[in-house]
Amino acid sequence: MWRPGPAWQDEDQLARAWRAARPFPHLVFDDFVPAGALPELLAVLEDEPVERYEGDIFVFEASALEPATPALRAVRDAFASVLSPPLSRITGRPLRRADMRAYAYRVGHYLLPHSDHQEDLGRAVAYAYYLPSPEPPSGGELEMFACRAENGELVSTDSARLIEPAPNRLVVFEVSVVSLHQVREVLDGLRISLAGWFYP
Amino acid sequence: MTTLEQLFGGRTAVVVPEVVGPALAARTRERFERAGYTRYALLDRGSYDVLPDPEEPELFGPLIEIAARTTSRSLVLAEVRALRLQPGDYLLAHHDRIHDGHPVELVLDLSPASVPGAEVHYRRRGQVYFRAPGAPGSLAIVERGPTVSCNHTYVTRRHAAASIVRLVMLLRDG
Repeated sequence: MWRPGPAWQDEDQLARAWRAARPFPHLVFDDFVPAGALPELLAVLEDEPVERYEGDIFVFEASALEPATPALRAVRDAFASVLSPPLSRITGRPLRRADMRAYAYRVGHYLLPHSDHQEDLGRAVAYAYYLPSPEPPSGGELEMFACRAENGELVSTDSARLIEPAPNRLVVFEVSVVSLHQVREVLDGLRISLAGWFYP
Repeated sequence: MTTLEQLFGGRTAVVVPEVVGPALAARTRERFERAGYTRYALLDRGSYDVLPDPEEPELFGPLIEIAARTTSRSLVLAEVRALRLQPGDYLLAHHDRIHDGHPVELVLDLSPASVPGAEVHYRRRGQVYFRAPGAPGSLAIVERGPTVSCNHTYVTRRHAAASIVRLVMLLRDG
């Protein structure tokens, strides 16, 4: 299912693009898996239970931290094992494992600006993979912010890039104190994704 | 044995409806507009307009009286600010200050109309224990403690004309 396509062949070029990306290192891969693999992936998600989660920075539906079904655990493990080696070389960060949750953002759902960075968690690279939706969403973009930090505190935050949740698109980005990003509110439709982090 | 939960759980957290009418709310909003809001936009903490120290002595007196009656405490004004939240705005809990002692926080909803989901949440150790719903004219009265934090929930972009105006007062024993 997870087979990096031709876009992954020139890792030197990808490493340069990673380092040059603004507001912080990231890459966007379209047509990430062969179109023929998508029905199998969507079938896995149909059996995975999701619950509503609500906090001061988010409202969404998601699967549990550890997938409930063996099928999604297998998808996660294959994703980590196929992508960790090339992403380690591209990002310059040793990556060995990844977690994965399935997310459903319905109308009115959002994830407000945050960095993902927590010293004790070891998150090195974040990812989001967008799936085809029966109701293509309006809104739900990944928004990245250009930030300036002083003494570990952000002192400016400015919108810098919007990435649409296009089907079969993978976004990977570096996790740091300045990797501020959000999922903008879904205004219509349904946004389906797999997302998580790579760890050393 | 008395638990901390019992100590803190018994404190006041109520909403008094219809404390101000639409006409007074509209006049107050106009005065806030004239005084001029400042935009706060450190987005990892909040996104909103703020007017520090608005001067509304005719409004403050009756609100403090209601709070004193409700809590059976003698209270004086310690801090006040007006907040305006528009579509896409919010204040996160970690942007809120932890207060020593047990001051009383008042939130007067001066909005022209309610917006679904736009609420003020009070949290104890991260868990919401009191929701002040969006209800124009209402007054939330919350006795805070050192484990209490507060957030103003995200205002949806699906109501393009949404404008939430809240007068937030902190009262201490006088």
